[in-house]
Amino acid sequence: MFFHIVLERNMQLHPRFFGRNLRENLVSKLMKDVEGTCSGRHGFVVAITGIESVGKGLIRDGTGFVTFPVKYQCVVFRPFKGEILEAVVTLVNKMGFFAEAGPVQIFVSKHLIPDDMEFQAGDMPHYTTSDGSVKIQKECEVRLKIIGTRVDATEIFCVGTIKDDFLGVINDPASTA
Amino acid sequence: MPRHRDEDDDVDEEYAGSELEEEEEEVEGRGGGGSSSRKRGRSNFIDDYAEEDSEEDEEDDEDYASRGGKGGAAKRKKSSASIFLDDQARVDDEDEEEEEEGEDDFIVDNGTDLPDERVDRRRYHERRFLSGEENDEDVEDLERRIQERFSRHHEEYDEEATDVEQQALLPSVRDPKLWMVKCAIGREREVAVCLMQKFIDRGSDLQIRSVVALDHLKNYIYVEADKEAHVKEAIKGMRNIYANQKILLVPIREMTDVLAVESKAIDLSRDTWVRMKIGTYKGDLAKVVDVDNVRQRVTVKLIPRIDLQALASKLDGREVAKKKAFVPPPRFMNIDEAREMHIRVERRRDSMTGDYFENIAGMLFKDGFLYKTVSLKSVTAQNVTPTFDELEKFNKPSENGESDFGGLSTLFANRKKGHFMKGDAVIVIKGDLKNLKGWVEKVDEENVLIRSEMKGLPDPLAVNEKELCKYFEPGNHVKVVSGTHEGATGMVVKVDQHVLIILSDTTKEHVRVFADHVVESSEVTTGVTKIGDYELHDLVLLDNLSFGVIIRLENEAFQILKGVPDRPEVALVKLREIKCKLERKISVQDHYKNVIAVKDDVRVIEGPSKGKQGPVRHIYKGVLFIYDRHHLEHAGFICAKCTSCVVVGGSRSGANRNSGDSMSRFSNFKAPAPVPSSPRRFQRGGMGYNSGGRGRGGRGGGDNSLLGTTVKIRLGPFKGYRGPVVEEKGNSVRVELEMKIVTVARDAISDNVSVSTPSRDTSRYSMGSETPMHPSRTPLHPYMTPMRDSGATPIHDGMRTPMRDRAWNPYTPMSPPRDSWEDGNPGSWGTSPQYQPGSPPSRAYEAPTPGSGWASTPGGSYSDAGTPRDHGSAYANAPSPYLPSTPGQPMTPSSTSYLPGTPGGQPMTPGTGLDVMSPVIGGDAEAWFMPDILVDIHKAGEDSDVGVIRDVSDGTCKVSLGSSGGGDTVMALPSELEIVPPRKNDRVKIVGGQYRGSIGKLIGIDGSDGIVKIEDNLDVKILDLAILAKFVQS
Repeated sequence: MFFHIVLERNMQLHPRFFGRNLRENLVSKLMKDVEGTCSGRHGFVVAITGIESVGKGLIRDGTGFVTFPVKYQCVVFRPFKGEILEAVVTLVNKMGFFAEAGPVQIFVSKHLIPDDMEFQAGDMPHYTTSDGSVKIQKECEVRLKIIGTRVDATEIFCVGTIKDDFLGVINDPASTA
Repeated sequence: MPRHRDEDDDVDEEYAGSELEEEEEEVEGRGGGGSSSRKRGRSNFIDDYAEEDSEEDEEDDEDYASRGGKGGAAKRKKSSASIFLDDQARVDDEDEEEEEEGEDDFIVDNGTDLPDERVDRRRYHERRFLSGEENDEDVEDLERRIQERFSRHHEEYDEEATDVEQQALLPSVRDPKLWMVKCAIGREREVAVCLMQKFIDRGSDLQIRSVVALDHLKNYIYVEADKEAHVKEAIKGMRNIYANQKILLVPIREMTDVLAVESKAIDLSRDTWVRMKIGTYKGDLAKVVDVDNVRQRVTVKLIPRIDLQALASKLDGREVAKKKAFVPPPRFMNIDEAREMHIRVERRRDSMTGDYFENIAGMLFKDGFLYKTVSLKSVTAQNVTPTFDELEKFNKPSENGESDFGGLSTLFANRKKGHFMKGDAVIVIKGDLKNLKGWVEKVDEENVLIRSEMKGLPDPLAVNEKELCKYFEPGNHVKVVSGTHEGATGMVVKVDQHVLIILSDTTKEHVRVFADHVVESSEVTTGVTKIGDYELHDLVLLDNLSFGVIIRLENEAFQILKGVPDRPEVALVKLREIKCKLERKISVQDHYKNVIAVKDDVRVIEGPSKGKQGPVRHIYKGVLFIYDRHHLEHAGFICAKCTSCVVVGGSRSGANRNSGDSMSRFSNFKAPAPVPSSPRRFQRGGMGYNSGGRGRGGRGGGDNSLLGTTVKIRLGPFKGYRGPVVEEKGNSVRVELEMKIVTVARDAISDNVSVSTPSRDTSRYSMGSETPMHPSRTPLHPYMTPMRDSGATPIHDGMRTPMRDRAWNPYTPMSPPRDSWEDGNPGSWGTSPQYQPGSPPSRAYEAPTPGSGWASTPGGSYSDAGTPRDHGSAYANAPSPYLPSTPGQPMTPSSTSYLPGTPGGQPMTPGTGLDVMSPVIGGDAEAWFMPDILVDIHKAGEDSDVGVIRDVSDGTCKVSLGSSGGGDTVMALPSELEIVPPRKNDRVKIVGGQYRGSIGKLIGIDGSDGIVKIEDNLDVKILDLAILAKFVQS
């Protein structure tokens, strides 16, 4: 789920950045530092949309660095248990398949794939129903439900299921192309 | 007293085994039993007596009698009494001192048996031994004796024994002691019997009380006596006791342990999982189908290990080769197959159960399983944890869910204490409340109080522990706390009754575990991550000098991804096969000769793992171990040659990259810096040096503020020494003093800023001949010393950042390499004045040693330098005075720059700013030539021609003539080459600066800047045209 929230961060800026462009420098550094990071509480910071306020800088003893408390608005993405997501399949193996929804990696175990779908090894490993009407393979888009998440320092990993109504392949570029 | 009964039963089985011991006991009993005073020990059985009644006693007696008969029948000459005594010895674990007590105990035991069972047994015995040769008198005699004793006990101990009383039975200092006597191995029993005989012969002058030989204790017997002398006396002359063996006293506290019988109370019930202890099926899992407590037999269901061939030939009467070593694999019996081999198969109905069994050569089969009746002794029910494979096998033929629960009960029996914790989610799996879910509130001994959501149930609800199973839902994150996968964590993907399927966090593989073996946990571990000194993902050197990354830890072994770039090679090695951990910080060059250090992101561009990308985890011998989280094999590790990789993430290329040891890197390059002439070569060589320069630039940029700076040691034995810092570690720094590297305390050094001497040059470039102060005082001097100039350049490099090159390039209309190239040539100084403009600034720069000034500023002054834009703009204006190459003119500014000469302050002054720039001109050589760019060649006396650089090595370029590189290949010096400026929409290669090596498209030209869209990341960058070269695909 995406959220638009306000976060705060203390930015340390080197004196060389001081000048007319201080604010820009600060913002670009903030973007560089923050965008794409992941925290357990908020999930992935997708983009910074604005700066709320830049507090007074405080010179740090000894280094000359200045610390600015910056409040910024950003869009964060955090997957939740029970959430329905659409994701792109990145890898299929005998244990299930991996899919990605933006920065989040989701694993769908074969136990969480409908029982009528079978794994087919080969050049392009895929899961398919016996009649071949549905096929899950790399690049496929699937709709899945997250049943568990694990948050690391740098990534969020989810386990998902497609064993439910209205879940499964929604678009297969390989077959339409 | 079920325990006693069991033991009693056990004893029954063990008659033969413990016979000698018993006899000995018996003898003693006869000798001293009647007369000796009754000990406290007897009270042990008080309660038992109390419970008995005479009727049962009678039964007992009969029982004994018949048993005695059995004993006699068992081809052993011994009196029935001895059997009793035997039992007594077994059962009575606490005091062996008096035979009487033992007997009593025995009786008591039987007395407490459930009447019906006892009757059963008696009948059994009677039936079996009715025709025993034992005469009736014996039995009667026995009966009489027992009753006698029994009644006596009755009078005395007709009260209940409490714990305290039990405690009082323990041996005290006043009791006879137990002595351990060494005897010949295997002769323990013999010795005991001999002593017994001796006792009989000698009577009461043998002052020992008893002798015990334990089956499980070889080489020793125990003798009970008051004094050591008594023991010595008794064993004197014994053949199997060594004469001067020491006699050891058993400490009072341990006395009870000597004769304690381990509780063997196995509560075997149907459907319990057991393992076979002996025979062909040793170790095999079996399931109890029937228990006969009386006969001590148990019927188990096994997967047969039968060699039908052998069986068939045996039945035919043919000779069967005895191959002991061969144990047939377990396989379900196929009756049809057996029939085909002409093995007679009988189908019989079991009279007891009514089931049909196939009988082959005396073995019973049903549903492919072998039903075998074995002694209770030959199975073990303790710590039986069936693996999934085994369970699956057992469940295969008859697919019923019930069997699983049979397994469960055993699993539960082996549960650890404290299995359930408050807050655990549990589910009831047995009884009326089956499938009720709840949470553990409290755990009592056996019962667990659970709280459930169900209305109308008492809250909390007490449930027996055995009826509960932990409950998990898919998505739970769990940790395995016991079993084969202990330590692993993962997410539950499927729950199948009490079996969970977990997706392991590390391997991303499915793991099947019992719900009982896991706990919910948010912890993410990789299972065991360490064996010995080696951790998961460590780079290790193996015995055979191959190396690899530990990608998985197994039991006592590591799975290692070998450092073979061509194909992933995984080896399983033991701890001892690992020689050492490789932790050296080294850096290598990538495909484009960019420096790769650990943690850099690289992309593989060739080989089997082409296209993979990730941070470098280890580097060794030119082999990179890259971690790609999308790569599922080998724990995400990819092994690739450094030359088949490219560094990605241009923004990180400069400053952060080279956090490694700059000195070591330095020395990796072609020529060692200390050789005075070498800088020239660097300049000519271009590429290699470039990397070096960047390396040093990076050094300052990172956290290692001191690294590479030249310092003076203030304190300690090395006081006064100077040298560059080569390593920082905590509070220590490693300083290289000319030849020697020493370690000093951090505060024992002073930065060179204050010293204001270019000691850095001195030490690093071995210019000891020059006094540090010299250059600044004598501005002219350095002019005369080209060596020094060249020496100065590398320093500059350290300070310089790629962007600065760019800033400069437009202002150096002459091809810079040539400048520097000539710079190093002393001869050129006088003769070619046009080269001079470039040189003075270098010197000027050098004289005031801003290098040291810069270097020593802590807190990342280098990173300042590394920030391209600011400086770029600042310098861009400054250098203009130099532009006209009027000889001599530059002298003025440069000499002025000496005047301010305040070290440290210098970098700030504009003059220095100018100076700082100057070496860049010389240093630009590095930024230049790279393969696959279009250049103009103008060799002396020849027309200029265009060509494509194919290869750059050691200062010369291999150039293929022709605009597409199709012509002849010639060698050219960099000074003979000039880059052909690209035009709009050309593909360009960036030959300098931060993006050096990247390929892009020139989408626009703005004055001296080119707008380049970099192909890698599609970023649009504004770069100086001078560092753009037309790219020609090779």
